[in-house]
Amino acid sequence: MVPLLVSVLSLSQHHAHATSLAAVVLIAAGGAAVFGSAGEVHLPIAGFLAVGALIGAPMGARLMARTSEANLKIAFGAFLVIVGTTLVVG
Amino acid sequence: MWLLLVPIGVAVGAFSAAFGVGGGLLMVPVLVLGYGLDQHAAQGTSLVVIIPTAVVGAVAHHRRGLVDWRLALFMAAGGLLGVVAGSRLALATDAETLQTVFGLVVIAAGARLAVQGNRQRHPTR
Repeated sequence: MVPLLVSVLSLSQHHAHATSLAAVVLIAAGGAAVFGSAGEVHLPIAGFLAVGALIGAPMGARLMARTSEANLKIAFGAFLVIVGTTLVVG
Repeated sequence: MWLLLVPIGVAVGAFSAAFGVGGGLLMVPVLVLGYGLDQHAAQGTSLVVIIPTAVVGAVAHHRRGLVDWRLALFMAAGGLLGVVAGSRLALATDAETLQTVFGLVVIAAGARLAVQGNRQRHPTR
């Protein structure tokens, strides 16, 4: 979503990350409902991860707001290349 | 071993909010390789974690005036359709082909962004 928001809709990198995250809430809920109804959710593990993630999310938001547009693009671009390579090689 | 999930969660949450992604790409490999979950359970579990994480991250971004809620709702509506369509497509296509195609698209998008960012940082080049 982030690359589409930046290239097609010309959002700034910061607005694209923030807006994408807002959309992720509902999309994840849809996915979780599908997997949950199939019994494919490990709730204790989800609980431990969520405790940490709730601490980390405001930290990440602060970090993003302080990062320049250019550096955010480079960091996110590098992230995509790593993820893509992992998917292709894996 | 399960307590280790809390600091992993901190990293996932920070990553998710900073990059505007769910964080499943980080969690799924950890759960499959480190905790012995199968691919389906790992994906389902990470999706559940993403919900509260993305809510907190989105609220933090909203306070800084960075969220375009109308756009987010349109994308979410499309995304919900995509979740259903994607599941069907994934079942009809062999997983390895799907993974490779997606990976190549992601690499191209990432390389393009990094080049753009580098130009912004060094406008004279």
